[in-house]
Amino acid sequence: MNRYTYAELTVGMTEAFQVTIRPEMLEQFRQITGDENPLHTDEAFAAGKGYPGRVVYGMLTASFLSTLAGVYLPGERSLILETDVKFAKAVQIGDTLTVRGTVKEKNDLFSFIVLQVEMRNGDGEKVLRGRMKVGVLDGE
Amino acid sequence: MTREEVFAGVNEVFRDIFDDEEITVGETTTADDIEDWDSLEHINLIVAIEKKFGMKFTMGEATGMKNVGAMVDIILERV
Repeated sequence: MNRYTYAELTVGMTEAFQVTIRPEMLEQFRQITGDENPLHTDEAFAAGKGYPGRVVYGMLTASFLSTLAGVYLPGERSLILETDVKFAKAVQIGDTLTVRGTVKEKNDLFSFIVLQVEMRNGDGEKVLRGRMKVGVLDGE
Repeated sequence: MTREEVFAGVNEVFRDIFDDEEITVGETTTADDIEDWDSLEHINLIVAIEKKFGMKFTMGEATGMKNVGAMVDIILERV
């Protein structure tokens, strides 16, 4: 886990990691949230809507932004304040996503950073883009 | 810039931040008067007002202003 302090963070700094979406992640997400929508649970239904397989929950995909801030940028001192995302393309089970965040702004008064965030699938297509405001906690 | 002009600019920022075109702030408006004016939106307000007027608040000012009139007083000192 990274432990960047506010002072160590600079505009332009980037962190990224990869994650592969496995079927059990959808099942766990369904159990936690109760979202039983067939687009995510029923292969035939998803096929009927023109998708090659069950569509991964957008909010499951977005949840990796928690990891981006909480583990990578800034890491341990992270406190997510705002998240604004657009789901640019459907994510499929088995996709390996590259999750990337770049520091676009720093606010010295309130010690928060603004991250430009994006996720791309294995074909390099952008599946999610957005912006996060993340507080950087002080102290040891 | 006159006090009225600053108020007009501040009002514009409030309407934008709270997505509410019916907001009209006055000298004595406080967070108690606007339901969504919580600590997170206060940060957004301060940042947006700094950008709008091209000035900076100190931490003491940003967290200690008692109402919108006090905010306008500080803006008028800096622009």
